[in-house]
Amino acid sequence: MAELVIDPITRIGGIAALRIVAEEATPPEACLSAFGYRGFEQIALGAHLDNLLPVVSRICGLDSLFHQLCAAMAVEKALGVEAPSRLRLLRELALHAQLFERHAVSLSVHSLPDLLFPSSDPSLRNLVSIYSVDEEVVRRLLGLKSLGSMVLQEVGGNSVHPVNFRTGGAARDVPGEKRDALRSKLEEARPLLVETSRLIKLLLRRNEEMASRIGNVPAPSLALRGPGQVTMTGERAAVVGPQGDGEQDLSPHDLLGRLRESNSAYSHVRNVSVEGYGETRVGPLSRININGHYGTSLADGELEEVKSQWGFPIHACLVGHVLRILEMVHAWEKMHELLKEPDEGEISLEVKPAAGKGAAVLEAPEGMLIYEVELTGEGLVKDLNLVTPLQFNQRVLETSLAKIAEEVGIEGEPKIMDMLQMAIRAYAPCIPCGLH
Amino acid sequence: MQIALVSLSSCLGCQAVFLGMEEYLYAIIGENRISFAPFIMDNREVAPVDLALVEGTVRHAGHFMRAREVREKAERVVALGTCACFGGVQGLADRFAEDTMLRRRFGDAAWEGAPAGVKRLLPLDSFIKVDYFLPGCPPTQDLLRKFLEAALAGAQPQREETTVCAECRVVSPGIPQPGPRRTTEAPPERGKCLMEAGYACMGPLTRDGCGALCPTLMGLPCRGCRGPSDRALLDPHVDMREETVRRLARATDSKAGEVESAVNDPVHAFYMFCLAEPALRRRRPEGSSPFVQRLGER
Ligand code: SF4
Ligand code: SF4
Ligand code: SF4
Repeated sequence: MAELVIDPITRIGGIAALRIVAEEATPPEACLSAFGYRGFEQIALGAHLDNLLPVVSRICGLDSLFHQLCAAMAVEKALGVEAPSRLRLLRELALHAQLFERHAVSLSVHSLPDLLFPSSDPSLRNLVSIYSVDEEVVRRLLGLKSLGSMVLQEVGGNSVHPVNFRTGGAARDVPGEKRDALRSKLEEARPLLVETSRLIKLLLRRNEEMASRIGNVPAPSLALRGPGQVTMTGERAAVVGPQGDGEQDLSPHDLLGRLRESNSAYSHVRNVSVEGYGETRVGPLSRININGHYGTSLADGELEEVKSQWGFPIHACLVGHVLRILEMVHAWEKMHELLKEPDEGEISLEVKPAAGKGAAVLEAPEGMLIYEVELTGEGLVKDLNLVTPLQFNQRVLETSLAKIAEEVGIEGEPKIMDMLQMAIRAYAPCIPCGLH
Repeated sequence: MQIALVSLSSCLGCQAVFLGMEEYLYAIIGENRISFAPFIMDNREVAPVDLALVEGTVRHAGHFMRAREVREKAERVVALGTCACFGGVQGLADRFAEDTMLRRRFGDAAWEGAPAGVKRLLPLDSFIKVDYFLPGCPPTQDLLRKFLEAALAGAQPQREETTVCAECRVVSPGIPQPGPRRTTEAPPERGKCLMEAGYACMGPLTRDGCGALCPTLMGLPCRGCRGPSDRALLDPHVDMREETVRRLARATDSKAGEVESAVNDPVHAFYMFCLAEPALRRRRPEGSSPFVQRLGER
């Protein structure tokens, strides 16, 4: 029996380890393990709906707004209230800003070093070394992160754990002069974005052999379905087989009915599969595999290029890096568009506590996020259940890792640790969310 | 001066602030001062450093070992963020016994090689000696930068502490006001003191440093994310709940009992960021968790 252990996996969000075991005559098995269940579903029990958002926000500092708003939308469903349209717009704006920021972090801090220096020593593969040879690249990517933070700061009141939003409302709108200022900041950053997008595409082409080989595992895709384009919020999910076959549209209710959650023998991250499809992938690849387009001109222009190079549907996980930068381009265009809208209309409802149950689904940066909430008549959380992207992706990722181990072998190949970690980073797994 | 950035059980929000420091961050990486940071580099063993910033709480033996390793390798250890300083929101899990929580989530599952869980949720300084505390959920960029500037220059980075109220720029709406109220039911009026307007604002008991972001800029009550003020920690007669209830009763001209039944999630309303802080825990009637458990699991 051969065994390979990577503990901890570096340059990812959170603490996790990988163990690969290869018995003779059977294919290797990959176990991604993370311990330290955080108990947020129970932490939230008894909270008044007014105090729920700041609590769930602390599940993940990089995706905090997705947790807050998914919880808010589930509560709104439970109470049977509908957010006013201006509020929905502000929320969307804030979500795009956070996705933009989150992708910038995962690209710059976690993945870029692998793409830039695939063959140098791991101790040199990081932001600090990149900075020492090319300051500009680091400044450009972290500059983009700051741009996302800036929009989030304005719309959310704070860039990490924003405070502006609550169930049924927001404390303030973004005044006209601020919107103009933000738009000119976005415009200023256009060359940065274009340059970065070119760089990531170039790097992936340069590593084409690696990108098409590492972790290229066909899997069913699950994502929210927009009107012919990617969406972050919505009432319709879709799941489709690996080759675009067996496509099915699901209401959130049907989707919840088909999710199967199970314990893992080596991790506190519970696995979730979709009945009839098994282990299912979520995230940037699945969003585009399901929807086909982003729905904004710049992003779609670049997408055509990507599709013609990598084919469609896309299953090569490293192409996820290119899709992340395309999603940033898309978010940039959306932010531009949404900031043009005048600040007219109500942003808040009065929300009266009542008993009820509700669920909401959002596309978080690394995939589908689901909240199901039950309230007591006094508006206290009676039950909370949430599903985070890593819970879906874990098995698909493990399959990819096992395949790498099988093809390359875990003994005597010096690059195996690198290849495995590159595949993991290509999924940008969020361990704190998985351990919620 | 070399730095280590370490996370235990955390949300990564404090590290996100570190990464957002722009020019100051470039100065730090330009001078090659980061020796250990698994979030951004490929290292697995803590390198000897002058200053270790530790984010998050200890939830299991693995976290504890890492914390101890950091203590051995670092000249000075900083508890970064409210989780590390006071337990933070994760500290709310202290209402339940660890095995009860695991059972509710996983049934009677067992794991290969799972590290043993902690019995109680406690701040970092209950496990290792901590030299400095920088609370905030997360601390603002400004706080973090000033802290690092002082610490990296070899100075004592501690600052004078007051409360959020001391930084808050609001006027009194004139009392009594209706309430106690929730922001979801009646959106507060910006520029007025939230507590006096009948909302449970934790500003009087929370340490300053955020510039009173929520009340002053957003017109929202402070939820206490910077953690309890020095007075709240040091004065044995201060309890976050009693004190806030008393103020709310005065503001809304109601009886303490009425306030208590209106603010019907006392654990989340009064202790959202500091339930696990031992200095406060000892002070609650009957000492500790049985009481809080009753509050939470009503
Ligand atoms: S203090 Fe707050 S921001 Fe920092 S790790 Fe803890 S929850 Fe996250
Ligand atoms: S709004 Fe809150 S923080 Fe500001 S003065 Fe009133 S009680 Fe203090
Ligand atoms: S006002 Fe209170 S809750 Fe808001 S940022 Fe400051 S300390 Fe945190």
